[in-house]
Amino acid sequence: MRRLPVYLLIDTSGSMRGEPIESVKVGIESMISTLRQDPYALETVNISIITYDRDVKIIFPLTPLDELQLPDIVTPDSGPTHTGAALEKLCSQVEKEVKLSTPEQKGDWMPLLFIMTDGHPSDIMIYNQVIKKVKQHNFASIIACAAGMKAKVEPLKQLTNEVYSLDTMDSSSFKKFFKWVSDLIEVGNKSIGATDELLLPTPPEEMNRII
Amino acid sequence: MKELLEKIFENIYSNGLSEERYCDIKEFISEKLISEYNDYVMNREIVAKNKVNTLDIVLPNAKVGDYYSQLLKIEDEEIIEYWIEGLKKTGLEVVSEIVLDFQKEDNTMVQGSANLEVFDNDNIECQKQVIGTKNKGLVIKGNPIMSGDFDLTLKYKYKGWFDGCNILERKLRFAINPDPRSLWKDIPTDKNIKFYKDDFVSEYVTVLANDKGLQKDIVAASKRGRSHAHEGKARDDDFKLYHNDENGWYIIAVADGAGSAKYSRKGSEIACETSVEYCKQALQMPTELEETILELSKAEEGYSNRSISTLIYNIIGGAAHKAHRAILDVVKANEDQVRDYATTLLLAICKKFDFGWFVASFWVGDGAMCIYDKERQYIKLLGTPDGGEYAGQTRFLTMPEIFTPESIMSRLKYSIEEDFSALILMTDGVSDPFFETDANLNKVEKWNELWENINKEVDLTDDNSESKNQLLNWLDFWSAGNHDDRTIAILY
Repeated sequence: MRRLPVYLLIDTSGSMRGEPIESVKVGIESMISTLRQDPYALETVNISIITYDRDVKIIFPLTPLDELQLPDIVTPDSGPTHTGAALEKLCSQVEKEVKLSTPEQKGDWMPLLFIMTDGHPSDIMIYNQVIKKVKQHNFASIIACAAGMKAKVEPLKQLTNEVYSLDTMDSSSFKKFFKWVSDLIEVGNKSIGATDELLLPTPPEEMNRII
Repeated sequence: MKELLEKIFENIYSNGLSEERYCDIKEFISEKLISEYNDYVMNREIVAKNKVNTLDIVLPNAKVGDYYSQLLKIEDEEIIEYWIEGLKKTGLEVVSEIVLDFQKEDNTMVQGSANLEVFDNDNIECQKQVIGTKNKGLVIKGNPIMSGDFDLTLKYKYKGWFDGCNILERKLRFAINPDPRSLWKDIPTDKNIKFYKDDFVSEYVTVLANDKGLQKDIVAASKRGRSHAHEGKARDDDFKLYHNDENGWYIIAVADGAGSAKYSRKGSEIACETSVEYCKQALQMPTELEETILELSKAEEGYSNRSISTLIYNIIGGAAHKAHRAILDVVKANEDQVRDYATTLLLAICKKFDFGWFVASFWVGDGAMCIYDKERQYIKLLGTPDGGEYAGQTRFLTMPEIFTPESIMSRLKYSIEEDFSALILMTDGVSDPFFETDANLNKVEKWNELWENINKEVDLTDDNSESKNQLLNWLDFWSAGNHDDRTIAILY
């Protein structure tokens, strides 16, 4: 079975505490519900969520959409945002989890990566180093979301050309963001092959693409 | 209580106590005690709540139509009874766990004997819910009838609970997945789109028996995949069959337009039409080729014949190249991008001679092309599929690097065969679900499985033109995650 691996990296630093993280959770939940209504996604999409603040946590490894259960996501009171360490972890997970084609094994589709932050990497040195490594991992697409007014877009721009800003961090904005993510996953499911880049669906009004 | 109070008053207020003062104190003390007591009750609830909230209760996701059975058991001294609410709509029910009672619990069974004990639900009066205890959990089971996310409530009573105390609860999220089969839509393709193509097509080429006996026929079918039907998108696969009734040459082409390329349906069509047309012309009077083949048939094994290679290169390699050029011409005329027409191509020509069969082929992209003989348990793969590290990565006829002389040579195959059950060409919509990996393409048992599977539904007897419809129906086979366009051509 060919799987479409989808990685979600979620900032859980102190500033996300309260409404923002709850909104993210609601957003992810509705994204999962939406994807489950798509027969192709239901059979192929596998999701992993990794959160990062001072610590990097694998909320769950690559899991088939139909088996997925969203556990609680907690945030510390305060502390740094170790985005670099999160990307390091992501790389090792991808190496471990994403199957490449061999004569004996069917390869997965190229994975998708979504990274969301409301701040900026505290471990900027590690962050700058790991970017090259992430790019070697052949993601079909890397989508970065800078949520809220304090999110810095410059570091994200180094990671990918697909950087979007989300002005407000309320539940309706996140819901729309994750709706868009699910649309994108559905597109990703169907259009990998001849073209190198995914054609992304039109983002909702709440999101602005940073050029 | 009253005596106790009076004793206290006597000690503290030895000078006596007015009636008003006495009442006031009494009121004060009772208020104080009640409040203490309420805190005590509250605490007991909080302890129980914390306990239950931290319990790792997981209900695996269910799926509509798939039988579900999951035990939920709270083995904690503090939690005496619990039950589940909110399952009504799902089609699932709760029953008591069947306990194999090895140790004597609250019955008089002899120790050590395994007794099957079923909790008789109907005998519990005033209780609509099936109740779980420390020793006997709840089993949620049945056939889910409705998909969605359901908020179930786990309700429970803690140790020391009596009528009048709060019944506590914890929310449980329970997901029932839809059956993917029920979600697929079949939306016909809009006939007004550019390069419209029928959603399915099948064809049978009858070759009548002659003085040399029965002659092999060709049957082929092509059907839009579920992923395309779901969105009303056109079929990207194509095929083309031809038999020269004069000289006995067969020509078969199968092509798979890339799913992500917007006009690949046209790409695959041009690939099949052009390459077959080219071969058709080249095989009108192939005197030189046939003479060389006869020479080859007499030669010893391992003998390499340069002239046959050159002839094959010119005919089949030429046909593929012509198809490549034809696509470029259409791209140019329409001012499109070449990659919009990306397609694979599997092309085979063959003919039966007195000594046996001559088969030659060209293959670019994924899918499979093979000579199969059931009797001899023999397969000959006519090349190797082009694949990358990730799924969906392959090579296309539209890529210029395919047409370097070395690349063309490596994609050409020819062979002499005594006889065979079938020459089969298919796109990856069929080969992926049956073979999955490249290694499996080399296993004869996998080809046996495919052959048996086809023969169960398709009556492949000589001149049975009805088999084209059977083959088309066969293409509907179910394989989770494999919903690409499917095309197969069988010479048998």
